Amino acid sequence: MEDVQVVAMLVRRCIAGDAAAWEEIVQTYNRRIYNICYRFAGSGDDAEDLTQEVFIKMYRTLPSYDHTKGAFVTWVTTITRNLLVDHFRKTKQDRMTDSIDAGTSEHEDAQPLSEQIQDHSAPPDAHVRSREVGETVHAALGKLSPELREAVILRDLQDMDYREIATVLKVPEGTVKSRINRGRAELARLLQRTYRQVM
Amino acid sequence: MPEQTSSGMQCHEFDGLLTDALDGLLSGAKLDRFQAHFRACPACGPLFAEAEAGRNWLKGLTEVEPPAGLVENILASTTGIASDRLRAPAPSTQPRVSWLEKVQAWFSGAMQPIWGTVRQPRFAMSFGMAFFSLSVALSVAGVKPSDLRQISLRPAALRHTYYSTQARVVRYYENIRFVYEVESRVRGIKRNLTPAEPAPAKPKDRKNDTSKEPEQKQERNYSQTENQLILACAPLGLSVNDLPVVSVTTYRRFV
Repeated sequence: MEDVQVVAMLVRRCIAGDAAAWEEIVQTYNRRIYNICYRFAGSGDDAEDLTQEVFIKMYRTLPSYDHTKGAFVTWVTTITRNLLVDHFRKTKQDRMTDSIDAGTSEHEDAQPLSEQIQDHSAPPDAHVRSREVGETVHAALGKLSPELREAVILRDLQDMDYREIATVLKVPEGTVKSRINRGRAELARLLQRTYRQVM
Repeated sequence: MPEQTSSGMQCHEFDGLLTDALDGLLSGAKLDRFQAHFRACPACGPLFAEAEAGRNWLKGLTEVEPPAGLVENILASTTGIASDRLRAPAPSTQPRVSWLEKVQAWFSGAMQPIWGTVRQPRFAMSFGMAFFSLSVALSVAGVKPSDLRQISLRPAALRHTYYSTQARVVRYYENIRFVYEVESRVRGIKRNLTPAEPAPAKPKDRKNDTSKEPEQKQERNYSQTENQLILACAPLGLSVNDLPVVSVTTYRRFV
């Protein structure tokens, strides 16, 4: 995914105070980090704030990056994941008071998950790439536990390999695979249950 | 959950191979054993189907576009430099400017705010009034511009002016002192020639002297009522007893 030497040079330039090098890093990784934050946090506003926080933290800790210990993208993802976990712990109390049927879409007038699905009369496979189904799956993803959610996001949305995910999550590869399996199955059950209620 | 099926594979082993199977990495005997367990195990069969469905759902999610201005906000919050500035072209070579033009440019730049203030009508009016007042004050004091023109600014002349002014001030002070001494001696001689005056008489104790009791006096004044008999204007020949008596009460307030 990335040329180790090129990225290492980019990081060295950045540490030396080259603003253009830092901008190149931001341009390269902002999309990826924003998507991880969006899928994990569920909200576009939260994702934007979290992405900024990730880059601020990255900017401060850039000298601590050692390219011999792992890929830069893994290091960046680890920072993102740690920040997301902190954010989850901070907002846990708020979420506990939320309605269990409340949607997690970024739109304020977003309908609950069951009501969103009421609009689809066709089988889900037919509209799997449509925006509405995407929002439904996104909402269901938000219902997973954070351990399962982060595992499936890194594997199925960010296409990271199991070893990299194990490094980011600081768990063995077997645990990563198990969490991915359970996360996928839980998501399917959640969507299936919702569709069955609608039918 | 049955731990082992006829294929010889245990459920935890199936769970470990599930991701590889979905990724299409299993082959040969391992794949056969996996499929056999998948068909035989009532728990692992649905798990495989659910995991596959869940993966398909997730693969259907597309990447979202980051909001516009995210990069600029990140750069502003980290380096504090706007992105456009980084992309700004290098400054082009400028024509050579002489030092005199640089000084003139600096001077005009420095004087621009001052000159702008001076050109305001309010400032011109104030300046005119100050000039008029100064002219009047100088003319009253007897200072003429022609006198100022004759002042020599040579160091020797300035020194001479300083010493002469100092001598004039000292002389004025000494003269004043001499006059005061003469006046005080004359006053002493007059006092010696005049006979001693008798001591002032001790003031009599007045009966109603209330000067030492101002509060009481004031209170009494406020509450004082005085009954006076007023004789009306009457024709001559009548005795006092025949006159009508009018009682008038007056309230007087002494301040």
